[in-house]
Amino acid sequence: MEGVKKYQLTFFQRNSQKIAQVIIVLILILVTSPIILGYAWLILRSFSEDIVQGFIPTKLTLKNWRFLWQNIEGYPSIWKITMNTFLLALGVMVIEILITSMGGYALSRYEFPGRSSILRLILVLHAFPAISLMVAIFYVLWNLGLLNKLWGIILVKASLEIPWGTWVMKGFYDGIPWELEWAGLVDGYSRLQVWRKVILPIAKPGIAVTGIFAFLSGWSEFVFVNTFIFEQQTWTLSKYVKGIIGDFRFVDYGLLTAVGLFYVIPTIVFFFFVSKYMIKLTIGGVKG
Amino acid sequence: MPEIRVVNFCKYFGKVKAVDNVSFDVKDGEFVALLGPSGCGKTTTLLTLAGIYKPTAGEIYFGDELVNDVPPKYRSVGMVFQNYALYPHMNIFENIAFPLRAKKLPRDEIEKRVKEVARKLMIDQLLDRRPSQISGGQQQRVALARALVKEPAILLFDEPLSNLDAKLRMLMRAEIKHLQSELGITSVYVTHDQAEAMTMASRIAVFSMGKLVQYGTPDDVYDRPKNMFVAAFIGNPPMNFLEGFTVVGDNQKLHARRGNIRVELPKEARNRLENAPRENLVLGIRPEHIKIHFKEKENTIPGLVYVLEPLGRDLIVNVKLEDTDEIVKIFAEPGVDFEEGQKVYMEPWVDKIHLFDPQTEETLL
Repeated sequence: MEGVKKYQLTFFQRNSQKIAQVIIVLILILVTSPIILGYAWLILRSFSEDIVQGFIPTKLTLKNWRFLWQNIEGYPSIWKITMNTFLLALGVMVIEILITSMGGYALSRYEFPGRSSILRLILVLHAFPAISLMVAIFYVLWNLGLLNKLWGIILVKASLEIPWGTWVMKGFYDGIPWELEWAGLVDGYSRLQVWRKVILPIAKPGIAVTGIFAFLSGWSEFVFVNTFIFEQQTWTLSKYVKGIIGDFRFVDYGLLTAVGLFYVIPTIVFFFFVSKYMIKLTIGGVKG
Repeated sequence: MPEIRVVNFCKYFGKVKAVDNVSFDVKDGEFVALLGPSGCGKTTTLLTLAGIYKPTAGEIYFGDELVNDVPPKYRSVGMVFQNYALYPHMNIFENIAFPLRAKKLPRDEIEKRVKEVARKLMIDQLLDRRPSQISGGQQQRVALARALVKEPAILLFDEPLSNLDAKLRMLMRAEIKHLQSELGITSVYVTHDQAEAMTMASRIAVFSMGKLVQYGTPDDVYDRPKNMFVAAFIGNPPMNFLEGFTVVGDNQKLHARRGNIRVELPKEARNRLENAPRENLVLGIRPEHIKIHFKEKENTIPGLVYVLEPLGRDLIVNVKLEDTDEIVKIFAEPGVDFEEGQKVYMEPWVDKIHLFDPQTEETLL
């Protein structure tokens, strides 16, 4: 191949893609480092006697995790609190799934008067800061005799989460082709049966996502618990952590980090579920 | 048994008239195609036959029964959708068994019937797969099996072949036609592909903009199109249209004339054109109804060969008219060589000539 002119590429031209990648990764590391360092500190601190130089753990210990097998003085059992938190989260999740899976379907599939105003209202409702409703909610709970009860928190929390969940579910239903529904009708089922046997199973990822978010929002709820729950026996984990940060004694950082980590575990576990479903958001099986 | 009668059927969505005053009937065991471009109302009509839409006005009868308000589950209808609409969360067996489960048939009966129809459609080795694990052609067969398994009185097809590749489409076309005639199930088949309608249906209903334009056998709509829309929609390549012709006549014969061009019209034209407009008409000739001459001749249209489109078996010659630049497509006789730019004289077959009124677009002959 004589006479063919070769292009001379500079180092940067040859490696431009790699260099861009390296730069991107560096930026991402920089941006996420506060979060990563924060969690790293949390983990290290919870398993050590003390931290020197801000980051270096000294002497491995499980002492900070003692709340798991003995009651911390002045606080109820962690397991009772965890159970409360779990019930709160589960209650919010169940109620939200029940209502959003039906409400979202109706908003997606039926034309009825007021539909578009409901859709708009949902967005406004979600943008409404819950804290501004505090006094009103207090009165409602007071009159229903639900103050200082887990049930009260569950209902309040669920009702505030339902608008957003309905919107998400509507989105999922919108993505299911009408033909599947029609096929079900022609195959001899009623509208309700088609919803239950065909549409609902296909919308499963949507239900999972809505449900997990509902669970996590219940799990991490603090404001309502702090305001409407007065007895230690009805506390949830967020309130427990708040208690340890404490108003009336010096802070035990070892204990605080351990409880904090304990509190975060379900969130991390659930995150893996969510990410799996988030990726599967598209509906399989129907080739367009 | 079910003869479908659609009487003055209208379907409006808000102010949009999707289907406007359509009437037709389907005989027992007949295979009827609803043909038209997208948005012409054919699928709306089909979904109304299925019971998914309710007519805004008009009546739909299955046999003697008025079914306007009968929900789909009581209609004994099987349907095949364009995107197959298989249930992605069920395996193939469950997909096919789904209509039978609705009828609460005993377990072994369901199994027997699913296996039977699966064997007939050659998908019996796929029964435990998921819809996403099989090919488009196989999904098509599963959809067909699901429609057939409950032994419906009426089969409805909504463009079932348009998602398949060309080769598979030809294969399934013949297979569906064979299956339909073997089982004798009254069928309505929606398509925008005129070749599908022509090859499969015993009668074709041509739709345009929500209206039924023409309803007849494939020969009817091909040889005697009611208007320019049908003439242009059916046939590939479509009918050639030449504008601006005037009918002139002496005692012997009628001719269509434009400038120096003169074309002989069939004998029966004399009666048919008696009360019709005679000026500025559109002449229609199908590509296979033109003979090409190389020497000047009476009653021919001169032109230059513009481009050649060889199709293997056939050759389509495009001829450009010298006066108007109109292009005429012609199926040439085999064994004749052409050159681009060559002067030719086109002679239409006298009894295959169509004449349209450009205002109403209706046929005059």
